[in-house]
Amino acid sequence: MDFKLTEEQELIRKNMREFAEKHVDPIAVEIDEESRHPAELFKKLADNDWMGMPIPVEYGGAGSDYLTHIIAVEELSRSCASTGFTVSIHVGIAEMLILLFGNEDQKKKYLTPLAKGQNLGAFVLTEPGAGTDIMAATTTAVLDGNDYVVNGAKTFTSNGPTGGTYLVFAWTDKAAGRKGMSAFIIPRETPGMKAGEHFKKMGLRSSQTSEILFKDCRVPKENLLGKPGDGMAMAMAGFDNGRIGIAAQSLGILQAALDESIRYAKQRVQFGQPIARQQAISWMIANMATDLAAARFLTYNAAWLKDQKQPFSKEASMAKLFASEKAMEHTIKAVQIQGGYGYCKGAKVERLMRDAKITEIYEGTSEAQRMVISGNVLR
Amino acid sequence: MPTIITCFKWVVDESYIRQGTAGELDFSVVDYRISDYDRNAIEEAMRLKAIYGGEVLALTAGVPEATKSIKDALSRGPDRAFFAVDPSFGGLEPAQTAALLAAVVKAHITPYDLILCGEGSGDLYAQQVGPRLAEHLGIPSISFVQKVDIQEGKVIAERRVEEGIEVVAATLPALVTVLPDINVPRIPGVKDTLMASKKPVLSLKKEDLPPIPEPYLQTLEMKTAKLSRACEKFGSDDAEINRFLNALRKKAAI
Ligand SMILES: Cc1cc2nc3c(=O)[nH]c(=O)nc-3n(C[C@H](O)[C@H](O)[C@H](O)COP(=O)(O)OP(=O)(O)OC[C@H]3O[C@@H](n4cnc5c(N)ncnc54)[C@H](O)[C@@H]3O)c2cc1C
Repeated sequence: MDFKLTEEQELIRKNMREFAEKHVDPIAVEIDEESRHPAELFKKLADNDWMGMPIPVEYGGAGSDYLTHIIAVEELSRSCASTGFTVSIHVGIAEMLILLFGNEDQKKKYLTPLAKGQNLGAFVLTEPGAGTDIMAATTTAVLDGNDYVVNGAKTFTSNGPTGGTYLVFAWTDKAAGRKGMSAFIIPRETPGMKAGEHFKKMGLRSSQTSEILFKDCRVPKENLLGKPGDGMAMAMAGFDNGRIGIAAQSLGILQAALDESIRYAKQRVQFGQPIARQQAISWMIANMATDLAAARFLTYNAAWLKDQKQPFSKEASMAKLFASEKAMEHTIKAVQIQGGYGYCKGAKVERLMRDAKITEIYEGTSEAQRMVISGNVLR
Repeated sequence: MPTIITCFKWVVDESYIRQGTAGELDFSVVDYRISDYDRNAIEEAMRLKAIYGGEVLALTAGVPEATKSIKDALSRGPDRAFFAVDPSFGGLEPAQTAALLAAVVKAHITPYDLILCGEGSGDLYAQQVGPRLAEHLGIPSISFVQKVDIQEGKVIAERRVEEGIEVVAATLPALVTVLPDINVPRIPGVKDTLMASKKPVLSLKKEDLPPIPEPYLQTLEMKTAKLSRACEKFGSDDAEINRFLNALRKKAAI
């Protein structure tokens, strides 16, 4: 058993750390407060090949393995969880779905610009009435000549207001149940598709989330991803890949919470000594470090399994469930360690705590992960 | 088209050094990185290559575990690397490093046009390797350089000296040691890092190289420096504030 990262993975982690300290840390507070999408930052991320790492070079990517991409998402999220997530859903779901299921033309036309970071990808599945229960979706796509005509309303689309390439899930044959949903690649300019205003959120504020509305939106047949009826299976495959990214985002948040806690506990003096000398505080930090290490092993293992072309769906859910819940638990502790100062704007732990919450909700809630995992182990 | 050699050192990343309970320095979890000013030297070599073409060669001496340093250097642009490698090549003194690098240059990289080094290393900052290397090779050495160019067989360099800026020229081949403000080193792209191991590296073992001098110095011990603090407490009324001001005046702090 070999837990050692390759030299390339170690170097890429360091390069991402340096990048994040130089380009992300200085704006992280501002883009959170203003809820602003930092387009200029994504240009820089693209210049360093971070926007398409695990995509083959012939499709505009860097040709790394998935684990290396996961390490980069972790390191980026340590500085800004919103930015880490945007890269994760762009690469881990939008790009991976086209890579896995797209035909050669679609890879050339849509995957390549995505991997080069020329536009952002979005995963358009959730609807107002269909969250965890995807089968309750109502958006339809009806074949009319050479086009599908899409009608319906989607919500909570990340990169909705800022995206360029949307992967949209709609019923082509509602009567066929799980085999009746299909996925379409819809570029931004397509008439009949409209993104709403971005939502004001508790955390993850610089990631742009919105509704997407479809009114007689005509999508050429060649934009169908995979085969008709494969939509649900593709959405699940997208989640499998994406969840490792959310686990990595959670690792970044956890690492930042640990860094902040160690720094503060060593320096804050009460009762004549640093609070780190109090067992109550040092044990919180011990638990944090231990859970971070465990979460990292789960996450890297899931990515490694994917790279080994072995099944990794259950492991991705486990990594996402554990890392996200530990991120939430320990960011609450990190605020506790910093007392009143931790509760105020300007303290990094305050942002970490707000950002941590979303990791337990999207790409399947904790409850949904437990359904996947129990379904697997009770088989 | 010029052949530019850029020398670099793999140094301990200080942020990883911990302090042990007895005040000793704990190096057990350290990681290494290319010394900061050497990154500037590599970047400057790449800048010149972008203008004048030619070839950039990275050169270092180190222990066998330092293979990551070669990939790091090559991910920053150089075409090839030369690695003087032996388990005994850790913690070399400047005189030893310069002798090793000179031996590699003489035997394997001649002819060349320009050698770029960082002004000093991130760990020792002895500022000796560059000038000593130039001496071994019998070429001009220009230090404290904040701007450099190549023109008609000469290197033109702006040196930052105490009184101001001095512009000097020297006939190539020459050696230049650079200051950090000469450029902003790149952060290598993912592709550059992944492709680095595909570039040619010539590893030279101790047996392939002439013997190097014995070290002049021996490190007996390393420990943390202690700052003694007065730890005096002051209140917040007028008398106490005056006492505080007087205390600062006594220490000539204000
Ligand atoms: C910031 C943000 C970004 C998002 N980005 C995207 C995106 O890019 N693309 C996209 O398609 N979606 C996205 N989503 C949607 C997200 O995936 C859903 O919010 C999530 O799947 C939960 O759906 P819901 O909000 O409708 O909650 P519901 O499904 O209504 O769930 C409410 C609660 O009930 C629980 N619950 C529901 N069903 C069960 C059950 N059977 N057993 C036990 N408990 C259950 C849930 O776990 C949850 O606690 C995003 C959401 C947010 C907030």
